[in-house]
Amino acid sequence: MTRYRIQTPLGRAVGLGSAKSGFGHWWTERITAIALVLPAIWFAASLIAHTGTDYETFIHWLAKPINTVMMVLLLVTLFWHAALGLQVVIEDYVHSVAKIWALIVMRFACFALAAVGIIATLRIALGA
Amino acid sequence: MPRTNAFIVRASDQVPKHPLLKRFPVPRNFGVTPGSRIERGRTWAAPAGAVRTKAFEIYRYDPDGDDNPRLDTFEVDLDACGPMVLDVLIWIKNNVDPTLTFRRSCREGICGSCAMNIDGTNWLACTRYIEETGAPAQIYPLANMRIIKDLVPDLTHVLAQYEMIEPWLQTTTPAPDRERLQAPEDRAKLDGYYECILCFCCTSGCPSHWWNGDRFLGPAALLQAWRWLTDSRDEAAGERLDLLEDPFRLYRCHTILNCTRTCPKGLNPGKAIAEIKKMIVDRQS
Repeated sequence: MTRYRIQTPLGRAVGLGSAKSGFGHWWTERITAIALVLPAIWFAASLIAHTGTDYETFIHWLAKPINTVMMVLLLVTLFWHAALGLQVVIEDYVHSVAKIWALIVMRFACFALAAVGIIATLRIALGA
Repeated sequence: MPRTNAFIVRASDQVPKHPLLKRFPVPRNFGVTPGSRIERGRTWAAPAGAVRTKAFEIYRYDPDGDDNPRLDTFEVDLDACGPMVLDVLIWIKNNVDPTLTFRRSCREGICGSCAMNIDGTNWLACTRYIEETGAPAQIYPLANMRIIKDLVPDLTHVLAQYEMIEPWLQTTTPAPDRERLQAPEDRAKLDGYYECILCFCCTSGCPSHWWNGDRFLGPAALLQAWRWLTDSRDEAAGERLDLLEDPFRLYRCHTILNCTRTCPKGLNPGKAIAEIKKMIVDRQS
């Protein structure tokens, strides 16, 4: 059973007051969503187009500057958007000290995945 | 009533082409603390000689006893009572079980007292026709509120959240000697918002308010906040937006639109919240 602090209803509703922020997060989530439209379509179409190609041809295709740029843009936007969206999910559903840890781990994971993807793409592009 | 497949719902009179489930398909009492599990209650037979009867399953909870909440079944004589669900409740209270407890006042959809969950949808008992309900009709109190007794929810917190948005005209300019003037087109901007009767059907139906109701203001308070933000006579828009701009107070709204689907006055709290977000965009860029 939840025990409530002895507090006025208004005091409970006001809580710690307004953070006076939140617009940036919400707005960036929308902007990255719009930014994802083109790279996502490009990525899906490219995958379908390459269903029959072998490894060498695909690597050669990815090393073309336009494709490298699109891939890096896709990775940046995708994981940026994912981090913002997952933050909302965690804030919605996690209500314990685990929340802070979940947010930290989630962010690290998104940054790490973006870094892995970008470095792999660049290594292919630069022939390393 | 227009039948629609629309993704964006604009008012509660848009009936979905494919009706939603009456309740989410999990076992009854799933994840509910032992003291709140709903048990089968007793059945009250229809009075002798009743011709047209209909069963109503009604949530009962008595705070004075140690018993769990229960679902009582009442066989109602439809020829003896009026056409609305509220008439059924009054008929039961007068003729069957005087301990049945519920709020009601105006019986014409303007006071907002008799908001309850009827067949899985929050609505006013006084504006829901009996013939629109299923067999048996199921009546629960508003969800996600502490229950005081039977169909009476504790609205203390949601009313405090309403108080928090300071729902009154605020000006720095000294009050004029005459009435405050407002152009007809500015007055029209309040249409669809001033009609809110604070029944809290929307806030009770909002999943974001279920999970984060301690911090998220909920659709009813936010619709009221927009009603004052968009009032051309009010001078406190900046302070009001400062108060609202918060990851939880405002931005916990994920446009689920349960609020708009359930509003018994046909208002659109989802749009009001979107308008607040747009106003903050205007302020920032």
